[in-house]
Amino acid sequence: MAQWQEVQNLANTHLEQVHQLYAAAALPMAVRQCLAAWIEDQDWLQATEPLSSHARMLFHSLLALLDERLGSLGLGDEDFMLKHNLRKARRDLQAAFEEYPESFANLVANLLQEERRILRLGQAGGQGEAAPAPSTPPKSDREQEIQRRLAEFHTALQEAERAFRHLEDLQDAFDFCYKVHYLPGQDQTKDPEYTRQVQSLQAKLQNLDRQRREVVAQMQQLLGRSETLRDFLQQELKAWQERQQRSCLGAPVDTRLHQLEAWFTALGEGLFQLLQLLRALGELQQKVTYERDPLQAETPLLETRLREQLTCLLQSAFVVEQQPSMPNTPKRPLVLRTASKFCTRARLLVRLHDRNHRMEAAIHIDRDPPKTRGFRKFNILTSSSKTLLAGDSPREGLICDFQYLTLKEQKISGSGKGSKGPNEGPLAVTEELHLITFTLAYAYCGLEMQLETSTLPFVIISNSNHQLSSAWASILWFNMLSPNPKDQQFFATPPPAPWPRLAEVLSWQFESVAERGLSREHLHMLAEKLLGSKPSPESVLSWSKFSKDGAAGFSFWAWLDGILGLLQEHLKKLWKDGLILGFVSRKQEKKLLKGKRTGTFLIRFSESVLGGVTFTWVEHPESGRPAFRAVVPYTTVELASLALPDIIRDYQLLAEENIPENPLLFLYPDTPRDEAFSPYYSQRQEGSLTEKKEYLNQRLIRVSSRQANESWQTEEELVVATENLETLQLQPSGLGSLQPTSPGTGTVVAGSPGTLQPVSPGTLQVVARSPGTQHPRGPGTLQPVSPGVLQVVAGSPGAQHQRPGMLQPGSRGPETPPLVQVSPGGLEMLQAGTGAREPQLVLQLIPEGQGTLQVGPGSLGTLQVLPGGTGMLQQGGAGDRGTQQVAAGALEPQMLLQLIPEGQGMLQVGAGDLGMLQVLPGAVGTLQSAPRTAGMLQQVGAGDQGLLQPGPGAAEPLPVADDQGLLPAGLGDLGPMLQGQDMQELLQFLEQDLEPGTGTLETLEAAELMPNMDSGLGQMDARLGGSAALLDPRDPFLPQPEDTALPATSSLFTVDADFPPLHIDASDFQ
Amino acid sequence: MCAVPAPRVRPRLRGVAEGRPRLQTRESFCHSTVLLMGQRSGRQERSKKPEMSLSENMKAEEEDDREENKELKTKDQRLPLVFGVADLKNGAVGLYNIGQTCCLNSLLQVFLMNIHFTRILRRITVPPYASLKRNNVPYQMLLLLEKMQSGKQKAVSPIDLAMCLSTHRVNMFIQHDAAQLFLTLWNLVKRQMKDQDLVTKLSDLYTICVQEHLACQICSSEMKRNSNMLTLPLPVLDSNSHMLKTLEDCLQCFFHPEELTGHNMCFCEYCDKKTPFLQSMKLVHLPQTLTIHLKRFCFERSTNVYKLSHCLPFPQELDFNAVLTEQQSQAHGSEKAAWRYEIFAVVAHSGSTNSGHYCAYIRSLTECKWYCFNDSTVCQVSWDDVKCTYGHSDLNWGQTAYLLIYMKKHPQ
Repeated sequence: MAQWQEVQNLANTHLEQVHQLYAAAALPMAVRQCLAAWIEDQDWLQATEPLSSHARMLFHSLLALLDERLGSLGLGDEDFMLKHNLRKARRDLQAAFEEYPESFANLVANLLQEERRILRLGQAGGQGEAAPAPSTPPKSDREQEIQRRLAEFHTALQEAERAFRHLEDLQDAFDFCYKVHYLPGQDQTKDPEYTRQVQSLQAKLQNLDRQRREVVAQMQQLLGRSETLRDFLQQELKAWQERQQRSCLGAPVDTRLHQLEAWFTALGEGLFQLLQLLRALGELQQKVTYERDPLQAETPLLETRLREQLTCLLQSAFVVEQQPSMPNTPKRPLVLRTASKFCTRARLLVRLHDRNHRMEAAIHIDRDPPKTRGFRKFNILTSSSKTLLAGDSPREGLICDFQYLTLKEQKISGSGKGSKGPNEGPLAVTEELHLITFTLAYAYCGLEMQLETSTLPFVIISNSNHQLSSAWASILWFNMLSPNPKDQQFFATPPPAPWPRLAEVLSWQFESVAERGLSREHLHMLAEKLLGSKPSPESVLSWSKFSKDGAAGFSFWAWLDGILGLLQEHLKKLWKDGLILGFVSRKQEKKLLKGKRTGTFLIRFSESVLGGVTFTWVEHPESGRPAFRAVVPYTTVELASLALPDIIRDYQLLAEENIPENPLLFLYPDTPRDEAFSPYYSQRQEGSLTEKKEYLNQRLIRVSSRQANESWQTEEELVVATENLETLQLQPSGLGSLQPTSPGTGTVVAGSPGTLQPVSPGTLQVVARSPGTQHPRGPGTLQPVSPGVLQVVAGSPGAQHQRPGMLQPGSRGPETPPLVQVSPGGLEMLQAGTGAREPQLVLQLIPEGQGTLQVGPGSLGTLQVLPGGTGMLQQGGAGDRGTQQVAAGALEPQMLLQLIPEGQGMLQVGAGDLGMLQVLPGAVGTLQSAPRTAGMLQQVGAGDQGLLQPGPGAAEPLPVADDQGLLPAGLGDLGPMLQGQDMQELLQFLEQDLEPGTGTLETLEAAELMPNMDSGLGQMDARLGGSAALLDPRDPFLPQPEDTALPATSSLFTVDADFPPLHIDASDFQ
Repeated sequence: MCAVPAPRVRPRLRGVAEGRPRLQTRESFCHSTVLLMGQRSGRQERSKKPEMSLSENMKAEEEDDREENKELKTKDQRLPLVFGVADLKNGAVGLYNIGQTCCLNSLLQVFLMNIHFTRILRRITVPPYASLKRNNVPYQMLLLLEKMQSGKQKAVSPIDLAMCLSTHRVNMFIQHDAAQLFLTLWNLVKRQMKDQDLVTKLSDLYTICVQEHLACQICSSEMKRNSNMLTLPLPVLDSNSHMLKTLEDCLQCFFHPEELTGHNMCFCEYCDKKTPFLQSMKLVHLPQTLTIHLKRFCFERSTNVYKLSHCLPFPQELDFNAVLTEQQSQAHGSEKAAWRYEIFAVVAHSGSTNSGHYCAYIRSLTECKWYCFNDSTVCQVSWDDVKCTYGHSDLNWGQTAYLLIYMKKHPQ
């Protein structure tokens, strides 16, 4: 009935097929309709057997049923027609099949089968239409194929079960008749009744035999199909294993197992069912058997084959779901460290188990270790066996999860440390591969076996990160190239890697660290670097070239891994968003930038520094070829204090140009810098300006200066921009701190109000004002210091207010420029005097500084001139080297140089800036002392380091005071050399001014200075704060919320009432 | 399925001892059934297969058959009885296993699904007497074919043919080797065909011609001999007992010249002594239906025979010109041009050399669909299933291809 109903529900196209089927059939559809249930309930197939009485019986039953139905029909119009049809059908059937009921049975059996076929088609079609509706993800053809086959397999299995049950019935019937009717031993051949009985028995047995063969054939077919299915699953599993391997290397692939688990379980279930069925067949054969019994011959064969299938399926279904990995380096699995915890997990994809049977899983490390000399042996410290867990939720599956494993190396007596002692093996520790094997005693449904699976080979290291890096290289190489996933001897003869494969794996490294792989251009550059030519698909790279050799002192991998580390730590976002061009060769870089606007820059990784990133920008001089400049690479050390986007934002170049500026204007190809990077700038604390702050904010910026004769080499300094006066505490003025720091500060100072460039105006402004703060000390104090100091003072409005007279000399500034020209000669002088190399710088600075100062006592314009001192610096080229030498032990020499020139200005400001000195590296210290006087420099010369130390540094300033006496003298010396009247005049002025100042200075003692500074600084800060407020309008960055006013207390500086508070108007800076 | 095993019953019945029911009227009944069904369901066949729109292929086939029909009528008027219209489509119908006949069944399917063979078979002369009919293999095959194609049963019993074969010393209840049985069967068919024209056609359909060369390595004298083969018996191990990787490798190995030295030396008439010889084989002609026999067994110390079940892929399409070198063939361009084959059938064996099971994978020539014949069970499969018979080194009991039957792509 069910079938006929389903047939009626078919879609039209298929229904049409049914109509056609019955149009030609001897069985009218009316009969099929009215006796649907009965027809479907009968076993027509059995009835088709020749000589079976069944067919006749069925035929007559059908006729009888038809009669019955005819009688029950009413008299309605519809019934009338039906009645007519049925009556006619009955007559026809009787006429056609009375003599051949088997044919009739055959006909019906075929019709039913045909119906089922159409039904299947129809339903499959229906499903095909309905399938897209649900939101299941589209499945690959292979997946659909597997699903289809699984469904078919289960259908076929059900059919086999039905056939089996039919067989059971037949056998029971035969058995009964046999016991009742068959009486051997008695000669009853004469009895026709008996003969008839035996004949029927014979037929029944025949029938039974046929059914048995039929069932066996079905099983054969089922097994054959399951082989294909298992093959498919195995292929899928293999694909998964490859995916897992790739995912271990960082590839973004799906390594979920649930689909495979469902398939394996379904097939496993089916095969176990089949096994049960086979056993049941065996039991049938136990009860009734006869010669040539197909069950006797075939069942054992079938069972052997089936068991083999099952074993094979289960064996492959036991997989390592999670390869061994340490929790703290999840992205680098398969690298284990002795004594560190790691975990690994295996899963049985055939989720069938007997709840009453505990299954034990165990792990062994290196069960069959390679016979290599010196191969280290390890023990698993924690428990190495576990019960296979069958989570209650169906999603969990059968897993054995080893969570907290640790390894310990076996100490081999006599071999000392065991690791790589006297019996050192041919392989490095990081090339020694180890395996963990899982075993599981599986038992289910009478099938018992030992399942086994192995992890991928892993490397065991003992300590450093360096080992981690090269161990990971080994893992990459192995999983990329090894044809055998268990080959522990892989590194005895590691094969070379085809470039395309390697490129892919390298790209995954970047993808897994920073979510962006390598582009074609990147890979191209890497290939050229590695292979020295354009990569072809056939290019290969040897293992040693990848991980061992390296011209630069480090291998390719070490270099790449350095970059990976840098990305991971500092540049993830920039890389992910594609702001870092990264791998660009110098040649390529020039090609890219050549056609771009001045100030276009790109960020790339250094090829000469491990884990370094740098930027290169292009400048188009008015004449000549475009120039490309790059900064010394930043490594994780630098980036730790200042993020790359911030560096880019604040980057300053001190050059021969007048104004320090940020040369980085457009990110390649043409994105304005701030547009590209503003999302990455570190957050500024913006506060209300009115709020008084205790401290100024500090901010680090990076500055480079460049010297003419150095052509395009750029230097870089770390400028500690004071943002937070606290750091600077020692400094009367925050600026002071800046000064010590480096030229950067100097720049700032110089350019300060006048420049007011966004770059770091904050700092500058402060500086500008700081002098004001210093005022308390009195210009006098300053004067002694040196010309530099004077300049500063001059720059500060405060100074102006107080002592116009003082400043007057400066006012002559305009004439000073010639001084600059003089400098060359000055250099010689200094050198002679100091004996140190730095002097030149000093000289240069001084001239300019002075000139500037003088010129624009109060005017910013003048100040701006100062920075230009670069020109001077260039001249000092020779001296530069000298400086460098000095610095040798210290930081970067260049920095020193730069600092000096500018720093002087700064230093002057902070007469007492000794504190600053402390802060700065030795070089800075030198600078400070050097600021004005040759004498200072001399002192500095030898003992840079001494200066550097906080204590001594602090003391140094005092000497400066002493030196002042020298200084005038020095200046005097200079004067003649300078040959310029103006200069001489200037010097005279200076001398005059110095005298009083000197006195002041002398009075100061280190001990006094320091304490004063501590307390006094606060006050200065306060003032600074105020001044900052003034500046605010100009510089959005400058004022910091933290800058609160300090109570005005007496201090070294404040005591001096001579100085009224500073007033700086915006106009002052114009 | 009973929990308590019942006592074993061993019924001894007359008919069963012979493996089939003994029915007194069987012979006559059987014949009449065949004829009856042939006529009746032939009609049905035509009208009752609406879902099967006749393809061009089939139409052509039909016409072909009609032609044959006429031809036959004119040739042999005794045939109409056995000639049905039903076999327009070589439908896939199972054959009951009637006692270790899986091997026979598989081979019969391979024969009967091959329309080139059935075309020949249909023209045979029907033996005049019942006793002759009973013992005539081609005739019994034809009857079986009719029976398979006329009824709508899913399987028929090849009992008559099996009985007939047993009179020719091909016994039931014995495990046969498919390659041997194939030869036996083919030779029986050929021998019992009266019509020489048909015999020629049959030979042409299956015979491979090769030329064997024996060249004395000392005097360079060469002996040639043409010989015909029904199957190409290909080794699956090379001369060093290494497993060959593909069918192509096996072919190359088969046609690779072999040096006969040591105690393999032959007597050279010209040198008048035993000399080393170079033995080589050149392919002269390939037939429409090419049977390849994979010698998947290995003699271990000449006592134990064991089966080699390692993986040996065979292609769906096989071009001998791509496999063999110029020296390995001795044929004209047109002959060689036709040496392009596609796979038609695979007779696969599962189990060991002692006991096992045969089944056949056949690609129906009319429908171009793969079927798997496991005795009475037939199901449609795909090439993936056929690929399962490549073999698997992990499975000793799995299916492995034993006979490969390739069909010429462009029949001459």
